Amino acid sequence: MIQMFHVTKAYPGDPPVLVDINLDIDKGEFVFLTGPSGAGKSTLLKLMFLAERATRGQVLLAGRNVARLRESGIPFLRRNIGVVFQDFKLLPTRTVAENVGFTLDVLGTPRDEVRDRSLKMLRRVGLEHKADVSPLKLSGGEQQRVSLARALVNDPALLLADEPTGNLDPALTVEIMDLLTDVNARGTTIVVATHDATLIERYQKRTLRLEKGTVVADERGAKAARLMSQTA
Amino acid sequence: MSVASKLAYFGRTAIGSIVRSPFVHVIAVASLSLALVGFGVARIARAQLDALVDALGGEVELTVYLAEDAAPEQVAELEQALTQRTGGEVHRISPAEALGRLATQLGEDGKALTELPQNPLPWSLEVRLPKAARDAEALGELSRRTRALPFVTGVDYGEEALVRLGLIARALEVASLVVFSLVFLTAVIVVSATLQLAIFARREEIEIQKLVGATDRFVRVPFLLEGLLQGLLASGLALGALVGLVRWLESSAAGPLAFARLDGQLAVEWPRLAGELVGIGCALGLSGSFIAVRRFLRV
Repeated sequence: MIQMFHVTKAYPGDPPVLVDINLDIDKGEFVFLTGPSGAGKSTLLKLMFLAERATRGQVLLAGRNVARLRESGIPFLRRNIGVVFQDFKLLPTRTVAENVGFTLDVLGTPRDEVRDRSLKMLRRVGLEHKADVSPLKLSGGEQQRVSLARALVNDPALLLADEPTGNLDPALTVEIMDLLTDVNARGTTIVVATHDATLIERYQKRTLRLEKGTVVADERGAKAARLMSQTA
Repeated sequence: MSVASKLAYFGRTAIGSIVRSPFVHVIAVASLSLALVGFGVARIARAQLDALVDALGGEVELTVYLAEDAAPEQVAELEQALTQRTGGEVHRISPAEALGRLATQLGEDGKALTELPQNPLPWSLEVRLPKAARDAEALGELSRRTRALPFVTGVDYGEEALVRLGLIARALEVASLVVFSLVFLTAVIVVSATLQLAIFARREEIEIQKLVGATDRFVRVPFLLEGLLQGLLASGLALGALVGLVRWLESSAAGPLAFARLDGQLAVEWPRLAGELVGIGCALGLSGSFIAVRRFLRV
């Protein structure tokens, strides 16, 4: 699903954020991306949803080399990717349901269907009763769940989530992680950037650890959990 | 999604955005309206100057003085030729009519003319020249050729006045072009800056739309519709303001208007002006939105 070959990302005047990244994430995988702040997790996610382009190296999404993709082709690739942003990126001028339906509007889904699917998705994240309020009236955790609902509402092939449980209490974290596991079981590839060691230990998924822009460990299952307990 | 439902979505989005953030739209419509009022004032002022020049030009006449022995057929032929060349009306003036006019012009002193033993004035042809025929060069040529006829003793067409009128008209044309250009340039800058400000406030919405897979066109169309609606609204407001301004001028400045031979009314072609305001308002709204939104599409 995602392949990176010798990918480096640098911004003018600054040291590289990512250095010589090589990775291969298969279709249907669930991957945690972890590492300290500033390790390059968010930048790596941005390369995956084409908010940034690699300075050097090749990025392949669903077999397509994004370097060869024309600007006009990017929206169509993004339609298969759901993104949960660290800062939620919810529109304060729209209701919760409208925020969730935004993705479907872009896809040209009929109005009634947009509303139905948005409400169904909000039910799955436990926020159906907040459908018609402004996101500004929600807590951080609730906004995070709305952001997740928006990312999942169109059943994307790939879900990228930047700290999706960062603002949630333990009970809600489990609920959201169970939802992600369920979505993953239905075939969606999931990449979650997180600081949360307990999450990695509990779910024992493939874990990539980034440090100073480089992948320093790539472990699966119990080894991933051990990796976190060693480095946390 | 069908074209109709897509249009409905774009319409809903555009109107929804106006309803959600009325303040930025009020500012945009206000700046557009002001620009259009500036354009309208310049347009109306130009129309008044044109009307004034026309009023002054209404007195431009070509007078051909005929010899005593001019044959009636020759005079008729000349009348026909003058009508064809100038497009104006030709009047044959008898010596008695000319003397009567002169007496009227002289007032009390004119009575002396009645004591003349013989009317010294010749038959003449007067041509009232339409606007299109008031070209000094063409009239000079016509005058020279007419004067060369054996039965014509003289030709007068107020050469000096005509040249001055031509100069005034040309100066007005240049001045109005400069004013139009300045008003239009200012309008484009002000409107585009205001719309950029309005769209800047919604850059996050554009960013999110792009991140969830919206094409540039999908993002742009509602903004263009908003620009179009703002242009329409602004042109309506500007038209209303101009109607009010013209009414006020007509009621409070009837004296100066009469002096300018405008019969107390300003010369305004309202349907044409309304069309121009709507056209320019929509063009400004559309182009301003297009330019402003383009900056935020690179996500």
